[in-house]
Amino acid sequence: MSKVPRNFRLLEELEKGEKGFGPESCSYGLADSDDITMTKWNGTILGPPHSNHENRIYSLSIECGPNYPDSPPKVTFISKINLPCVNPTTGEVQTDFHTLRGWKRAYTMETLLLDLRKEMATPANKKLRQPKEGETF
Amino acid sequence: MASLPKRIIKETEKLVSDPVPGITAEPHDDNLRYFQVTIEGPEQSPYEDGIFELELYLPDDYPMEAPKVRFLTKIYHPNIDRLGRICLDVLKTNWSPALQIRTVLLSIQALLASPNPNDPLANDVAEDWIKNEVGAKAKAREWTKLYAKKKPE
Repeated sequence: MSKVPRNFRLLEELEKGEKGFGPESCSYGLADSDDITMTKWNGTILGPPHSNHENRIYSLSIECGPNYPDSPPKVTFISKINLPCVNPTTGEVQTDFHTLRGWKRAYTMETLLLDLRKEMATPANKKLRQPKEGETF
Repeated sequence: MASLPKRIIKETEKLVSDPVPGITAEPHDDNLRYFQVTIEGPEQSPYEDGIFELELYLPDDYPMEAPKVRFLTKIYHPNIDRLGRICLDVLKTNWSPALQIRTVLLSIQALLASPNPNDPLANDVAEDWIKNEVGAKAKAREWTKLYAKKKPE
């Protein structure tokens, strides 16, 4: 397999994101459709069922730097959330979150959003007390 | 890194030894399927004073699959969108393995010479082009001045 360069990889992800994926559990798109560098993205995660996140929609910002996808993106929750892998004051997903720490080139923004959603639903996290809905960092 | 198919090596060599006038294409050292491309705006088009940068990637299935090409320089053109994506038949349904990097880049140069607003990718630009061609071309010229590299005199 050859290495798909950053920009063509991001174009693939953009096209996939525009079509939507999965049972509407996550979505993502370019924050600025004029940005030829495709650096800043928006994401959403629909809170998993049977957890304190159920029916909530979380907004996130995703930044794909010049070394993406060799390096992981920087991900920040905009919607307030109480989760051990999220910095409680800035909303930034900590770089030791397993998907970021063990980042592989084959991973995508979709991988990351789905893994964060799984993280919300783990037995240890699903009953964590959550801030009032609609608050932001 | 997987070895490069002979066909790609040959095409690359020819691009360097026998370049197309007004077009350059050079592979990146760390990825020989990924090319840095420049295309000079064709004479008598609104793009004539500029040199445009593009990137081209040969996917694993090339030449069964078309190369992927995108403008890196902002350009006002009805068949090129705000992210530099190009609407061109030979890059999509009319691709054939008999075509090459060279022919694709020539087609893109030809697209600059004759925009096709009836098969648009950038809808707002195409609308402008159809309603007010003189104004649209003036804007294309202005963007060329603003964003493209200047051709040496």
